[in-house]
Amino acid sequence: MNVLDIRGLTKKFGEFVAVDNMSLTVREGEIFGFLGANGAGKSTTINMVSSLLRPSSGEIRILDRDITKQSRFAKLNLGIVPQDLAIYEDMTAYENVSFFAGLYGLRGTQLKERTEEALEFVGLSDKAKSLPKNFSGGMKRRLNIACAIAHKPKLIIMDEPTVGIDPQSRNYILTSVRNLNESGCTIIYTSHYMEEVEEICSRIAIVDHGKIIAEGTKEQLKSTITDVKDIRIEVKSAQPAAAGVLKAIPGVRTVLQEENVIRIHSDAAVDNLNRILKQLMDDGMEIRSVEEKEPNLETVFLTLTGRNLRD
Amino acid sequence: MNILSIAFKEIKQDFRDRRTLIFMLGFPIILMLILGLALTNAFSGDLSVGDLKVVVKDTTGGGQLSEAFAAFTKEAGKSGITFDSLPAGKNGRTEVENNRYVDYVELSGQGISLYGSSRSTIESNIVQGMLTSFADKYNAAAAVAQTEPAQVQAVFAGGAGSDYIKELSINANRTPGSIDYYALALTVMVGLWAAMPAGGLIQREIGRGTAVRLVTAPVRKSEIFAGKVLGGIVTNFLFVIVIIVFSKYVFKAYWGEHMGIVLIVLLSEVIMALSLGLAFSYLLKGSASRGIISLIVQLMSFFGGAYFPIGDEAGGGIMGFLVNLSPIRWGNHGLTQVIYGNDVSAAWPAVGLYIGFAILFLGASIAVMRRREGL
Repeated sequence: MNVLDIRGLTKKFGEFVAVDNMSLTVREGEIFGFLGANGAGKSTTINMVSSLLRPSSGEIRILDRDITKQSRFAKLNLGIVPQDLAIYEDMTAYENVSFFAGLYGLRGTQLKERTEEALEFVGLSDKAKSLPKNFSGGMKRRLNIACAIAHKPKLIIMDEPTVGIDPQSRNYILTSVRNLNESGCTIIYTSHYMEEVEEICSRIAIVDHGKIIAEGTKEQLKSTITDVKDIRIEVKSAQPAAAGVLKAIPGVRTVLQEENVIRIHSDAAVDNLNRILKQLMDDGMEIRSVEEKEPNLETVFLTLTGRNLRD
Repeated sequence: MNILSIAFKEIKQDFRDRRTLIFMLGFPIILMLILGLALTNAFSGDLSVGDLKVVVKDTTGGGQLSEAFAAFTKEAGKSGITFDSLPAGKNGRTEVENNRYVDYVELSGQGISLYGSSRSTIESNIVQGMLTSFADKYNAAAAVAQTEPAQVQAVFAGGAGSDYIKELSINANRTPGSIDYYALALTVMVGLWAAMPAGGLIQREIGRGTAVRLVTAPVRKSEIFAGKVLGGIVTNFLFVIVIIVFSKYVFKAYWGEHMGIVLIVLLSEVIMALSLGLAFSYLLKGSASRGIISLIVQLMSFFGGAYFPIGDEAGGGIMGFLVNLSPIRWGNHGLTQVIYGNDVSAAWPAVGLYIGFAILFLGASIAVMRRREGL
C-alpha cells in the first residue's frame, strides 16, 4: 500500500519553478530518504505534503486520499518533525506534547497516556515537568519528535532531525527512528548527513532543480555509477584555480575542493591519475596523500548533481 | 474545543512571561503612583458645586418644560449652582468657550440640549448628570400626563426638590483627585496596550517555528486565529482588572457605582486594541508593524490624556482633532461621566466606537489571513 503518492506536483513562486512536475511514491513501512542540496526543491515538496504550501498543480495523496479534498484525514495521519525546533520554551515538556496532541482530538485519559508514551519514547519522562529552555540541543530535538508522534500518525516527515546535536543524541534519535518504523510508522527522512541516510533508509530519492533525478535502494543507486571512480587527494596549500584546471583532463567528471582536499569523480575506464597528480604538482601543490574509494551514496549524489549535499 | 485549547495556551504563556507582567502591570501601577502623587496639586481637590455657573437660553416661549425647568433651577440654585439667562445678542457656546460658564443649556421645542466645557470636565459632568435626572423626571411626567393628567404634579412633588443632586452628585465626602484621575486614565491606557503584544500574536508562532505544527495539525486557520485572539483578549482584560482592583483597594481610587458598565467599556477597548495590533501585523510585515503600533499607542496615550489631562478636545484645531481621535479619550470621557456623573448612557458611544473599529480591524486581518499560505 502506498502511504504517500505524489503525481505531477509543481510549485511556482512567480517565474521560479521550485518543484517541477514531480512524481513520487512512498510505500507503507519504508524509511524513505529524501535528499537534495539547498534550493533543490526538497523543503518545498515537504511543505506541500504538510499543507504549509498550496501546490501550483499536481496531486498529493496520503493513504490514498487527496490531501486538499480530505485535509483533516491527511493531517490526522501525518506527523511533522520540522528542521527548526517547533516547541514552546516557556511550557514544560509535558505541556508541549499534550497541547499539540490535543489539537489532534485526543482528550482526557487518552491524551495523558499518549503524552506520557511519547515522552517515554524519546527518553524525556524524567524531564516532563521541566521547561525546554533548560534543555540541551539534543533534548530539544527529542522533544520536537515527541510532539510529532503522540497522536500516532501513519506517516512521519522528519526534516533534518539530527542537525546540530552531539553524537550521543544523534544515535538516540536514529534508534528512535528505527523503533518508530518497526512500530508501523512510515517515515520520510531528510538529512545532510549522508552516512545517516545510508544507515537507516530503505529507499532513497535524490531531488535536484525541483525534479527527482534518481530513486531506489542504496544498492540500486550505487549500481548506477559503477563506471565512476572516487579519488581524494590531500595537498599542502591548494590553489583556488585547481578545480578548473583538473576538469580539463580527459575522464574527469566533477571536481570538488574542500580546503586542502580535492575530490575527483572520474570515468573508471580512463587511466588519468598520473596526469591529475602531475597537473597538481606543476601548479605548485605538494601532494600529501592519494586515496581511491569505493563509490558510496555521497559519490552517487555528487555524480548526479555535481554538488555536495551540504552545498 | 481547539479554540479554547489555543486560548488557554496563550493565557498561560502570557502570565508566565515576566517581562509582559512587569510591562503590563508593574509599569502602570508605578506610573499611577508617581503621577498621582507628583501632580496632586494640579487637581482641584477642593472643588465645590458652588463654583458652577450655567447659562440658559429658553426658546420654548413658556409652557410645561419651561415651568419645570424653572423649578429645577430653583432647587439646584440652593446647592450654589447659578443659572443665568443668556443675554440677547450673546452666543451661549461662545460664553462657554470663553470660560465664563461651565455649561450652556438650551430649551426648545425639541427638548433640552447641553453644551459642556471641556476645560471643566468634572463640573460639566455634574451639571450634565443633574440635567439627565431632570430630563428623566420630566419625561416621566410627560408620560403620566398622557394617561392621568391630574397626577403630573405628583411626579414632581414625589420627593424632595434636591433629589436632582442627591441622585447624581459625586460622593459628598470626596472629590476626584489625582490618583482617581490616573487610576482611570492609566487603566484605559493599559487597555489600549493590548495592541502591542497583539502585533506579535501570529508573528511569535512563526518566529518560534510552532506555526508549522499549528498549521499541519487538523485545525482550521480560523480556529487558530480565534483561539489566539480570544486568549489575547482574556489576558489583557485580566491585566485591566488587576489594575482596577489594585488602584481601588491599594490607592483607594474612586471607580463609581457602575463597575459592570466600566468593565464593559474597558473590555470593548481591549477587543479594539487587540484587533488594531493584529491588523497592523498582517498589513505590515516584519518588525515594522511593532514599531508603528508602539508609536501609535504612545501618541494616542499622550493625546488621550493618559499622562496629564488635556482639555481642548472639544475645541477646534489640530489639537482638538487629535485628542478626539484617541481611543483613550473615548474611554476616558465616557467613563468619567459614568463614574462621576452617574450617567450610564455615556458609556455606549465609547463601546460603539470600540466595537465598530474592532470589527473593521478584525475584518481586515481575516481578509489578509485567508489569502496567505500558512499562518
